[in-house]
Amino acid sequence: MAGGTEAVAHQALEMTDHLPVLQVLIPFIAAPLAVFLGVRSLAWPIACAGAIASLVCSVVLMLATLDGSFISYHLGGWAPPYGIEYRVDAANAFVLLLISATAVVVMPFTKASVDAEIPKKDHTLFYACFMLCITGLLGVVVTGDAFNVFVFLEISSLSAYVLVSQGSHRDRRALTVAYDYLLMGTIGATFFVIGIGFLYMATGTLNMADIADRIAGQGDNRTIQAAFAFILVGMGLKVAIYPLHLWLPGAYNYAPSAVTVLLAATATKAAIYVVLRFTFSVFQPEFTFDTNVLYWIIIPFALLAMFAASLIAVFQTNFKRMLAYSSIAQIGYMLLGIGFFNLSGLTATMVHLFNHSITKAALFMAVGALVLRSGSTFYDRIRGMGKSMPLTSAVVVIGGLSLIGIPGTAGFVSKWMLVQAAFELGWWWMALLIVASSLLAVIYVWRVLEVLYLGDTAEGAQHKEAPMMMAGPMWVAALACIWFGFDTSLTLEASRVAANGLLSGNAGMAPVPTTAAGGGH
Amino acid sequence: MADHKTDPAKLPWLGRKLLFLDRPKNITLVVYAIYALCALLLLMEFVYTKHPYFGLEKIFGFYGWYGFVMCALLVICARAMRVVLIRSESYYAPGDVESEPYPEDGLDRSTIDD
Amino acid sequence: MIDFIPPFLAYIAGALLIPFLPKGHGRSAALCIVPVVGAALMWPLPMGSYGQIGVMGLELTLLRIDKLSIIFGVIFSLAAFLAMLYAWHIRDTIQQSAALLYSGSAIGAVFCGDLISLFFFWEGTAIASVFLIWARGTTGAYFTGMRYLVVQVASGVILIAGAGLFYTETGSITFDRMQLGSLATWLIFLAFGIKCAFPLLHNWLQDAYPAATVTGTVVLSAFTTKLAVYALARSFPGTELLIYIGAIMTLFPIFYAVIENDLRRVLAYSLNNQLGFMVVGVGIGTELALNGTAAHAFAHILYKALLFMSVGAVLFRTGTAKGSELGGLYKTMPLTMIFCLVGAASISAFPLFSGFVSKALILSAAGKAEYHIVWAILLFASAGVFHHSGIKIPYFAFFAHDSGLRPKEAPWNMLLAMGLTAFVCIAIGCYPHPLYALLPYEVKYDPYTATHVINQLQLLMFSALAFTVLMRAGLYPPELKSVNLDTDWLYRRAGPAVFARVAQAVSGGWGGTTDFVRRCCDVMVAILYRAHGPDGRIARVRPTGAMVIWIAILLLAVMLVSFM
Repeated sequence: MAGGTEAVAHQALEMTDHLPVLQVLIPFIAAPLAVFLGVRSLAWPIACAGAIASLVCSVVLMLATLDGSFISYHLGGWAPPYGIEYRVDAANAFVLLLISATAVVVMPFTKASVDAEIPKKDHTLFYACFMLCITGLLGVVVTGDAFNVFVFLEISSLSAYVLVSQGSHRDRRALTVAYDYLLMGTIGATFFVIGIGFLYMATGTLNMADIADRIAGQGDNRTIQAAFAFILVGMGLKVAIYPLHLWLPGAYNYAPSAVTVLLAATATKAAIYVVLRFTFSVFQPEFTFDTNVLYWIIIPFALLAMFAASLIAVFQTNFKRMLAYSSIAQIGYMLLGIGFFNLSGLTATMVHLFNHSITKAALFMAVGALVLRSGSTFYDRIRGMGKSMPLTSAVVVIGGLSLIGIPGTAGFVSKWMLVQAAFELGWWWMALLIVASSLLAVIYVWRVLEVLYLGDTAEGAQHKEAPMMMAGPMWVAALACIWFGFDTSLTLEASRVAANGLLSGNAGMAPVPTTAAGGGH
Repeated sequence: MADHKTDPAKLPWLGRKLLFLDRPKNITLVVYAIYALCALLLLMEFVYTKHPYFGLEKIFGFYGWYGFVMCALLVICARAMRVVLIRSESYYAPGDVESEPYPEDGLDRSTIDD
Repeated sequence: MIDFIPPFLAYIAGALLIPFLPKGHGRSAALCIVPVVGAALMWPLPMGSYGQIGVMGLELTLLRIDKLSIIFGVIFSLAAFLAMLYAWHIRDTIQQSAALLYSGSAIGAVFCGDLISLFFFWEGTAIASVFLIWARGTTGAYFTGMRYLVVQVASGVILIAGAGLFYTETGSITFDRMQLGSLATWLIFLAFGIKCAFPLLHNWLQDAYPAATVTGTVVLSAFTTKLAVYALARSFPGTELLIYIGAIMTLFPIFYAVIENDLRRVLAYSLNNQLGFMVVGVGIGTELALNGTAAHAFAHILYKALLFMSVGAVLFRTGTAKGSELGGLYKTMPLTMIFCLVGAASISAFPLFSGFVSKALILSAAGKAEYHIVWAILLFASAGVFHHSGIKIPYFAFFAHDSGLRPKEAPWNMLLAMGLTAFVCIAIGCYPHPLYALLPYEVKYDPYTATHVINQLQLLMFSALAFTVLMRAGLYPPELKSVNLDTDWLYRRAGPAVFARVAQAVSGGWGGTTDFVRRCCDVMVAILYRAHGPDGRIARVRPTGAMVIWIAILLLAVMLVSFM
């Protein structure tokens, strides 16, 4: 079977071999545990413990897959293609690491911001939803089963709708926004599941590796082409590709601060991962329709996002909303990397996935702290806070620089990779466009810094530094922005291995020749 | 000039010594000195050997008349340019420093009468 | 282990420590010591490259000591020291730190050996220096600073774009001699050209320098443009295009200088004109010419700083630097006047003053390389610079008609700084050998021949004669309260006006289009939901409706592309 594959399958036999499922299971169990124990003071520690345990899992998985190998885990011992398979290679181990690390870093911040923004009686349920959301995101990434992706996607999305609606304690509009988000999210999920339906119709299987094997050579099959279109557009909505982004600014803006941090840092990233997985591992890059779509749809819309969303961000008067639009623009960069369709481009996407995640985590946490002290995110309310909140504002400076892509910050590394990818294709004009759109980032970042540092102090705000529970995680993220701007060995290497795996087509996903063991023996 | 008389005693020593420049008669003397110097420099043409890079330099008093003619042309052209280019000081206001006074806190306006 | 420290670190450390020192003489002294420390770090190092560090597979070189970088390192340190002394009375932490960071970045740029580090320092000079303009604290200064910053940062962005292209083309990021030809080198050339104030790219200089503070302008005048000259001398020596660019640069600013009212702007124009000489030197590219460029940059930084210092002292005491409001100050500020005259004599290249021994190198290089017209232009420009910087500045500030202003002599620190600078100017003019020894190549040139001295005096005295005659005849353009249009009109007046027009048109068109799209969306959404039953309320949630349309459009597009 799959003669060309050189990947090595790890035999799952011991406790550590159950890591792929533990990764998802731990937060999944933490959620009901928090509810059933019913002790409010225990909810956060449980969530925390769950997040840390899943971080440990993902670190081990990352280390195990850095050599380019993959781990195949058969759920309940049922061998694929009939049983559900969890499959971890460098690409998803990297995203797993990103999600669980973010979850751990934002935990203390979550505590502080939830205490301030959510009434006490809802805390247990909030943390349960929070953990479910993380479960869903991790599940989407770890699974090797197409339908399973949909299931986890719904778990994460449904809990995300609930989490966003929790913003209503501060602003009632959160309810409408959550409702919009629900509608649009469901539309996206529906498209996605229709696509999977088409795939099932064409191949009779749901295992991604199996699908890949069966559709090989069927590049002109209309059903498969339609399936690709539905899956791409459905996931595109979750990714917030530019014109499908309408749910994002509202959801980010009105959600509680902690939820915004989580969603901004991880949710769209998991969706990008799914797009990558389907574009490169399930559907073959050799399919002409696949590459056509990359060149004619992904790249133009990525460029559109880079400029249109940045321009909108420039004119915002609300810090949080501005960041939301900037996220949409930054997603454009990641899509551009996918569209370049070469090793450097995909590496850039993977690195930017990571770098943008820590950057936005830092910035949204800073916003959370500003909200705590000034009660609003509008520029005229946070004017002059740079003097009274030097720590928080410094994080905004660092995050902002990383957003622009100033050398010495994480953002530079990914933009540099992206520019290099453009040069490799000989598209120097594209490199100029990338630089030009970074200039827009200079403007919107500058506007915030001007408000924070140069504005006269706004009245009605509490002039006190953010509490340590907030400042600490914020600074971890901000220092990470700087650290990964200099030490690129982890991010670049992992991304390169991941990109290599993705570009080698279905090789990374081919069924394992040897009998793989599973749980339940 | 007579309307700005200052007590010479308040001036610094060097300034007092230079006060002769205040008298128009002495200015005329300075001008004559310049004429004389120019004439002298023209006469110098006879006392040294030229090492020209170009034929042009061999012309008698080349550097002198070149400097004079070109500077006269420079001033006349500049005057002509000014007709087209001149605008009021507040032309670019308020985004320009030309139309606003220098902020006093960056200055130390002490005068000799203080 | 580390047997060297890059000099720029001294400046950065200084800038970081300064805010913690109490304001006063101690801090001012510390500011003056920093350049001395920087020079001491640089001087003992033998020629060679130090401090290679690998970042993301690129090898950066933090310290490259050779004869070209040494001479610029020395003059930048000297200029930083003199400017700090001149600014001894300043108690503004931001200006002090910015001045240190700015000079440190310039020195870092001179010593770095690769394009990436160069970019860092390049932007460092841009960002640090703008605070010297903003420190003036007026609306005008804010806007001027913004314009300045945009131009400077743009230069840096173009530089890094060029560096990136250069890397992909050649696999190297070495900051060294390159051949103009590919897009990469053209971009780098353009980036240097912006900072060097090439014709049509020049106006940021005349716009920004007169807007800085009294002391800020002195600092500004020394570094940015000379850094660009250094970069050109490093990367593009012998590029013939530079000769013509330089010749034009020497020429057109002198016309503006004659009619400009703000004396600091007159100096900015003459700075531009002097840069032209250096650019011509780089363009000729012979050993003699490059020596001339380095020597002229050295001398120029000093006498230009001296002129800015003296006009700055006048501004400091009277509140204005406009020719139309000044005059007759020689009575109360005689020392400042004398220092100004020394600066004027130096820039005009009078024998025994510094300009004489440096400019001659470039002129004779042009002569030897048989560039007739360029040589004639440079000669004209030499006469012209005497005319506006040598005569006009001192004449309108200190003589001319008596303005009635009776300011006190400049404070001691300014006098000391001016005195030292004037001393160095004269010392170089009288005894040029130490300067010649510093130059990149061996010098076989003696400026003090009878021919050269007499010819130069003829040129200058007859220019003075022209000034006198025209003045007496009332033909000389009087100083008027005014501004003159230059290329900045394009982006300060014409650009915004055109933009406003276009924006109006576009927003009209855009509004129409979005209205149309929205109406289409509304119609389609209404149809969709009518199909779903009587409950059409959701259709009114516009984002969702629009989203459905978009998802449909995108799906259609993807299918179309796939099926093709």
